[in-house]
Amino acid sequence: MPPFPKRRKIDFAKFDSSRADREAKYGLPNSVTFCRRCVTSNQKPISAVEFQHKSDSKKQAIHLDDLEICDACRMTEKKAGINWAERDAQLRELCDKHRSRDGSYDCLVPGSGGKDSFVAAHMLKYKYGMHPLTVTWAPHVYTEWGWRNFQRWIHAGFDNYLCTPNGRVHRLLTRLAVENLFHPFQAFILGQKSLAPKMAVLHQIPLVFYGENEAEYGNPIGDNDSAIRQWKYFSAPEKSSIYLGGTSVKDLTTDFGLEQVDLDPYLPANPADLKSLGIEVHYLGYYMKWHPQSCYYYAVEHGGFEASPERTPGTYSKYNSIDDRIDDFHYYTTFIKYGIGRATYDAAQEIRSGDINRDEGVALVQRFDGEFPTRFADEIFEYLSITEKEFPQAAKMFEQPRIDHAYFNNLADSFRSPHLWSYNDGQWSLRHQVK
Amino acid sequence: MLDNLPILRLIARLDIKGSNLIKGVHLEGLRVVGDPQVHAAKYYAEGADEIIYMDTVASLYGRNNLIDVVSRATEHVFVPMTVGGGIRSVEDARTLLRAGADKVAINTAAIKNPTLIKELSDVWGSSTIVLSIEAKRVSDKKWEAYTDNGRERTGLDAVEWAQKGAAQGAGEIFVTSVDQEGTKKGFDCELVAEICRAVDVPVVASGGFGSLQHLNDLVTASRPTGVAFADALHYDKFSLKQIRQFCIDSNIPTRQAVSGAEVYK
Repeated sequence: MPPFPKRRKIDFAKFDSSRADREAKYGLPNSVTFCRRCVTSNQKPISAVEFQHKSDSKKQAIHLDDLEICDACRMTEKKAGINWAERDAQLRELCDKHRSRDGSYDCLVPGSGGKDSFVAAHMLKYKYGMHPLTVTWAPHVYTEWGWRNFQRWIHAGFDNYLCTPNGRVHRLLTRLAVENLFHPFQAFILGQKSLAPKMAVLHQIPLVFYGENEAEYGNPIGDNDSAIRQWKYFSAPEKSSIYLGGTSVKDLTTDFGLEQVDLDPYLPANPADLKSLGIEVHYLGYYMKWHPQSCYYYAVEHGGFEASPERTPGTYSKYNSIDDRIDDFHYYTTFIKYGIGRATYDAAQEIRSGDINRDEGVALVQRFDGEFPTRFADEIFEYLSITEKEFPQAAKMFEQPRIDHAYFNNLADSFRSPHLWSYNDGQWSLRHQVK
Repeated sequence: MLDNLPILRLIARLDIKGSNLIKGVHLEGLRVVGDPQVHAAKYYAEGADEIIYMDTVASLYGRNNLIDVVSRATEHVFVPMTVGGGIRSVEDARTLLRAGADKVAINTAAIKNPTLIKELSDVWGSSTIVLSIEAKRVSDKKWEAYTDNGRERTGLDAVEWAQKGAAQGAGEIFVTSVDQEGTKKGFDCELVAEICRAVDVPVVASGGFGSLQHLNDLVTASRPTGVAFADALHYDKFSLKQIRQFCIDSNIPTRQAVSGAEVYK
């Protein structure tokens, strides 16, 4: 029997609405509370180290304090007191220290050409007089508008290295991430986090800039006090401790037919290399007030950035995270696992930024969160299908190598947590919704 | 050559969210600009021929709260006011018209229920009913009508929809180009021309004004009866006086008044 069955058994009794003892998966808090300022709940996991992510990993969720205010909202409050002129001076000092005078690149800006990386690279070059090299880890499957925005970014004045991983390896790792973790975006995140430091080593550019800090979206506040990104996110000392798609590197080579060269693009940087180069990874969001909506305006103004032609399924927005066709599924899976869909992420951010108020956020979440992403579904299922012809060895690991709607839905159900979901009369519904 | 054109109405467009005047780009990234009353009063004083209030997010949020904005506006705006956003029934339209609106504009509700156009025009006559169309280019000379502030596809061809709406009794077509809106890169002149060609009722063009040349391009390509300005006015890039003076200088026929206050008081 192949390790990945055609159909997973769902114990519906656990999801009965009358049942009092409700198991919480993923180490999530058993009782659900929503932030009183934004719309996020205490179920939202904070950033984790993806290459250690296994199916039994426990999540650490965003912290809500005694007044039921989340860390991300507290961070916003704290930022109101920041002396931005002082931070700007710090950034200028950093740039002065690294600025090249001999025609070489002096900083590395990883990004997709979305609004945030557009602003980061553009500001560094045109406002701070730096000479950035931009590097891009390709999305799983570009949207047409995402590809056009990527081109516009480069044409706004930057050299760029685009790293596009082997499509078959990427598909297989993504399928495994879906099966093991219900996390279709993981292969992208892995490469995104490790590419820049590795490119920095390759090109001998010690200074790396990212745009905003994930802490703003709920990582512990302590993470944010220093601009320097913690090494744990992008380097690992020991290859044997690395998991991709929730599968150990050893299993990937013995059971799934991958070779070391296939895995290299996903593996984190070698800490010794980073250390000898003296690499520093900084967030521009530490030095300047980062407002996603303003980034959109800036990118439109300076690069002709285009919003997507329709709202993204599961939310109302058209300007953020729009370049990967698999993204729709990424947020659908967070909705299934944590009860938090794309509209919750978008609305929470826009509430904190002062673009919408909480009532509006609640209305948007109630209307859009968790909507099934029909538009690219067939294409994504095809992408996730591990056919025997293309993957002679790996295909044997799946009782049903092809993914279709029924397969995906069953898989989704196997990742629902009884403390979040109830199942009655053939219908799934969330036990708790933001109000 | 331009002398045969109908008089072009210069319209100030105010997109409203809650109690705020807002503005986006491609109807996205909605930014709070200020107090709609302050802006409306200014545009009126500068000689706007009409003010249009759009609660563009009424459908998005499933609400309707322009009534207060409209009734307050009647105190200091004395040019025709068109109000759109979240009108789903004859009753909704009545409330807004009673509050002081001269015309009502509908989009989402009309797409969901095209007979609403007829119901409304049966009660108040066509001249009170504006069909608002958010059109996005899908291919060469093809546009799709959107709802929910340029977010939701409908599958309807925008030009055919304009025709159908006019046939149902809409007395005016207000067409916004989602592609050009907020970009300051010029109107989608082809879109406006196609709609002008397709219907006999007045057409108002919205979305893309960023320079006076754009206005010239628009009236050279077709003959809309009105043109809406938002970004250029809200961010003080142009005043309506400047725009009107340009029309006079370029022989684009407009109402020859420089101040709304002078004419209507």
